Amino acid sequence: MMDLVFTANDFHVLKPAVVLCLFGCGILLSDAFLVRRTGKRWLNAVTALVGEAIVALVVLQHLSDVRAGGAFSGLSGSIVIDGFGVFFNIIFVLSGALAVILSVRYMEAEGEHRGEYYALVLFAQAGMSIMATGNDLVVLFVALETMALSFYVMVGFLRRSKRSNEAAMKYLILGAFSSGLLAYGFSILYGIAGSTSIEAIGTAVAERPDGDWVTTLALITTSVGLFFKISAVPFHMWAPDVYEGAPTPTAAYVSVASKAASFALMIRIFLSAYGSAAESWMPLLAGIALITMTVGNLAAVTQSNLKRLLAYSSVAHAGYILLGLVAANDAGLRGIAIYILAYVFMNYGAFALIAALRRDGEAAEEIDDLNGLAGRAPGYTILVAIFMLSLAGIPPMAGFYGKYYIFLGLLREGYYVLAVFAALYVAVAAYYYFRIIRACWLTGSGDKPAALDLGLGTRVALVGSGVLTVVIGVLPQRFLALAGESVLLALR
Amino acid sequence: MEKASARVPLYSRLVVALPAGLFVWFASMVPSVAGGEAQFASIGWLPQLGVDLAFHVDGLGLLFALLITGVGTFILLYASEYMRGHPQVGRFTAFLVAFMLSMLGVVLSDNLIVLFVFWELTTLTSFLLIGYSHGDSAARRAALQSLIVTGAGALAMLAGFVLLGNAAGSYSLREMLAGDSDLAGHPAYVAMLVLVLAGAFTKSAQFPFHFWLPNAMAAPTPVSAYLHSATMVKAGVFLLARLNPVLGGTDEWGMTLTGFGAFTAVYSAAVALTRTDLKQILAYTTLMALGVCVMFIGLPQSRGADEVPLGAVAAVAFVFVHALYKAPLFMVAGTIDHSAGTRDIRSLGGLRKAMPWSLLAAALAALSMSGVPPFAGFVGKEILYSSAIGSTYGVAATAAIVTANAMIVSAALLVVAVPFLGQSPATRPTPHEGRWPMWIGSLVLGVAALGAGLFPRLAFEWLLLPAAGAVAGRQPHFEASLWHGFNLPFALSVVTLSAGALAYWQRNRLTGALGSALARLPVTGDSAYDWLMNGIARVSVVHTRIVQCGIQRRYLLIVFATLGASVLTTLVVKGVIAWPARIPDVSFVEWLLAILIAASALVTIRSHSRLMAIVALGVVGTGIALIFLLHGASDVAMTQLMVETLVVVIVAMVLLKLPGFRREVRQTGLGRWRDAIVSCVVGLTTTLVLLAVTAEPSHRRLTEYFQKTAVPEGFGANVVNVILVDFRGLDTLGEISVLALAAVSAYTLINWRPRRSARAAARSKAFPEAEGAAKPETLS
Repeated sequence: MMDLVFTANDFHVLKPAVVLCLFGCGILLSDAFLVRRTGKRWLNAVTALVGEAIVALVVLQHLSDVRAGGAFSGLSGSIVIDGFGVFFNIIFVLSGALAVILSVRYMEAEGEHRGEYYALVLFAQAGMSIMATGNDLVVLFVALETMALSFYVMVGFLRRSKRSNEAAMKYLILGAFSSGLLAYGFSILYGIAGSTSIEAIGTAVAERPDGDWVTTLALITTSVGLFFKISAVPFHMWAPDVYEGAPTPTAAYVSVASKAASFALMIRIFLSAYGSAAESWMPLLAGIALITMTVGNLAAVTQSNLKRLLAYSSVAHAGYILLGLVAANDAGLRGIAIYILAYVFMNYGAFALIAALRRDGEAAEEIDDLNGLAGRAPGYTILVAIFMLSLAGIPPMAGFYGKYYIFLGLLREGYYVLAVFAALYVAVAAYYYFRIIRACWLTGSGDKPAALDLGLGTRVALVGSGVLTVVIGVLPQRFLALAGESVLLALR
Repeated sequence: MEKASARVPLYSRLVVALPAGLFVWFASMVPSVAGGEAQFASIGWLPQLGVDLAFHVDGLGLLFALLITGVGTFILLYASEYMRGHPQVGRFTAFLVAFMLSMLGVVLSDNLIVLFVFWELTTLTSFLLIGYSHGDSAARRAALQSLIVTGAGALAMLAGFVLLGNAAGSYSLREMLAGDSDLAGHPAYVAMLVLVLAGAFTKSAQFPFHFWLPNAMAAPTPVSAYLHSATMVKAGVFLLARLNPVLGGTDEWGMTLTGFGAFTAVYSAAVALTRTDLKQILAYTTLMALGVCVMFIGLPQSRGADEVPLGAVAAVAFVFVHALYKAPLFMVAGTIDHSAGTRDIRSLGGLRKAMPWSLLAAALAALSMSGVPPFAGFVGKEILYSSAIGSTYGVAATAAIVTANAMIVSAALLVVAVPFLGQSPATRPTPHEGRWPMWIGSLVLGVAALGAGLFPRLAFEWLLLPAAGAVAGRQPHFEASLWHGFNLPFALSVVTLSAGALAYWQRNRLTGALGSALARLPVTGDSAYDWLMNGIARVSVVHTRIVQCGIQRRYLLIVFATLGASVLTTLVVKGVIAWPARIPDVSFVEWLLAILIAASALVTIRSHSRLMAIVALGVVGTGIALIFLLHGASDVAMTQLMVETLVVVIVAMVLLKLPGFRREVRQTGLGRWRDAIVSCVVGLTTTLVLLAVTAEPSHRRLTEYFQKTAVPEGFGANVVNVILVDFRGLDTLGEISVLALAAVSAYTLINWRPRRSARAAARSKAFPEAEGAAKPETLS
């Protein structure tokens, strides 16, 4: 039944995770024995970036393999390298690298600059990499936990900040609970199929009678576990607390990469394992997506803390992305892919902007802290405008295409009401994103001048994200093509 | 505002060359377009979406392009003087130019999606321009309001475009207009119509979305003159005109457009008379004009199909006429504001001597606005009347347009006669004429209005008829002339002018009556907007207080409640709640264990000491382990026991370091009952699920496989162990490494003792209990 010999191919499919783990361990060791003595902690970040670069090469190799010969699998089929997985791996490399770059300055300023942090970034990414390529429940679950455990520690990394500790604690408890539920759902799926392979489960689920309660039960429990990870309402409560308490680069990492990985997992499970039970999960997902958009957008309106505002906005974004899965057609899934790609740049950009705001050596995270920046930091203000417009989904920024494709997907399937609601919530979202843009142009902030704390890394990350947000927006051609490739699998 | 000494930057004068050059360029296309040859250019952009950057100049697009660049030339010239000495003139000019280019994009795009993109760009630039005086809270509110209202409409419109594109098989307007797809019979026709109209009506400020436009008057006057009268607000009208051949011709289309347009026209003309601020009066007359355009695009003609499409001609002519008179009036209003220091007609008068050029420009414009021959306004009005008379709604439509026009005559007198004629108030500083850039544009446009009235044939044949042809979908045969003889439209014109003059004469009485009638309206658009926005804020605050309270227990409660409810509902709906048919015998020892577990669980809940609670929890776990043992699952029992022991030890180690239970965090009264109910429901659900699951047949395949192969291949009799360390060894290895690594990292966190800086101390002090709750902020 199982091929227990570890072949070169097995190694090939595992390469991204292996490289990440090796570099993670390498950082732990070099930090303990070399870097700590020199006092140059940024060397750890350099090591991590080298790791990311190598992973990027590996992923590109995977991409060319997939383009040449189609999808391939390893480890007795429990890992599949296909366009979908490769696309998400690209997302993870980008997010991981951005997280590393942004952290140097931030962690240094917070006095918590340690090698373990970068190791955790890589470990989390190793988990995500497998989440997107795994094709077996056990593998997927272990990968998910790899990511989650790393995040629990990273969120609490500001050890002396009560808020950071509180955030980590909340995240851990709720996260562990949701993982338990997910495992419960997986166990039911195993009970149905007698196998942990996603394909086998898909076949077994298809053989169950329509509206079968066991499938529904598995569906509910797995969904709840996954809804937690993507911060869908009503399992979103951790998000604002965690984003606010966590180190800002970690918050960005959680909001982008963890969400992307969970969506990757979710899409694979829903389309491959539950593919045949679509009529029972469509309404569930549609309902959750609608509530998620509603709560996320409405709650964001009155937030005065930038990180909390972004947390609610990211809840709302999860709702939009879910709608792509509701449509579940070519346009919808393409929409998810391009949405997440744009989301990497615009959300990292937004968080990087917050990370750069400091006052009296203290992180400044309120909307009011932006007041009057237009006069003193015009470049910064332009970036604020770019990222906020993109987050709001206003053309010609990158964020527009994701929403557009998802609308298109919904309309093609006849979900007119959902599409109109989604469109109208964009207007609500515009309201709070424009509050941020507007704050920059407000004068009369003489009493509390916010100093900008832009290290080289932050500058590079900010400008890079900004440029890409605009480039994807204006010349989306290649990016849409890449997103299209990722969908090929999911729809097979 | 004005600093006379400040120099006008050179670039703000030079930039005028851009619209002027574009105007000449577009003007050079007039002969070929009038000859029926549309210009077309396309660049591939998003082939996957069928979206190309395609531009298409036909009669309608060209008319708008000429208005945008022509009026734009004078507005930029005016703005260079108006904004003299203002900080950030460069930014202002850049926004205006960006707006102008976006607007050109809207009217020339061939592709609906590209059109939407430019449409959004006009919304954005409008936001920036309205909020330009960002020190002014009214301006900030107005900027955001216009953005929200038109933005929401535009998004609905996008959905409509997608439906339209899907139904027509193309996003290209040319292909859509050339094709003969029967959209009116499409099942989603009404949805398309509603969505597209939502976009057009919000942009063109039709009732009940009209309120943002008067508020947008907080913008600097050049912006009001350009965006909110001559161009941007016409985008909605343009869209309706553009899509008329595609979506029009149905009863739904005709009734909606005529109804909303006519109501907006009459209502806003009436409101205009009650205002005293020059810009407000002009804003409401703009609303009236937009209403008229919308009304006549939709107005169904009752005569035979091969007759002249008079409605289209009327709408197009009115767009043209309106741009020629409204832009000058706004510019003059701005000049008056500059030189007299106020825009309130109650404190204005006698400016004729000080501002002769402005008076001349304003008089020309106002005569055209009133529809006095031989101005273009007169020609436009005649066509409006003949079209209304010949429409299906003959009497009603005619009555509406005559009433609205009569009030507009009165408003025209109000904005020109009151400030320039009459007595000058003594208290004002001496007004003076603006520099030439401030009146030259108004004068030229005013003269153009006169010219177009004197030579209507020229204007119609070169510009208006090709445009009307695009609106109607066929070329109209229409002979334009100034004088049609003594017919019904002329009689109505006379009635209009006299009624307008009468209303002006009796204006105090009239405005009093209108004002009190309008004040009785229970809901206005503005108040509805506020209600909605505050409602959203309230929902947001309530949500934050209830759901996002920062208390972990509440979060868990919500998660448990949702889960329990959804699973229980599934079980009930699917009808799988059943007592198992065969209940295995329960031994005495098992009963004892069950009682022990239940009792320990109760102790856990009720205990006031942490240690006690932890120990009791341990007993629960141990009891369960014993049950496993009783059923022969010694390995599972062993694992459970180990885990349980470890958990008790670790949790005790951690929790005992914390202070004792505080009184205030303990639940009281209702809270307790709520928690109890949720717990019971979740417990009950879990039990039911277990009963149901055990009743289902389960797969034995893997069990058999592992039982068979554990010893020969894994060399171990304990199947669970063999699975963990052998068959799925790699997964286990992964899991262990992760745990180990996380533990290492966590350990360093705990063990790391750097100097505790004063900042960190201050930081941790700053966050009291229950800090998750956000501070609600009032909306501005």
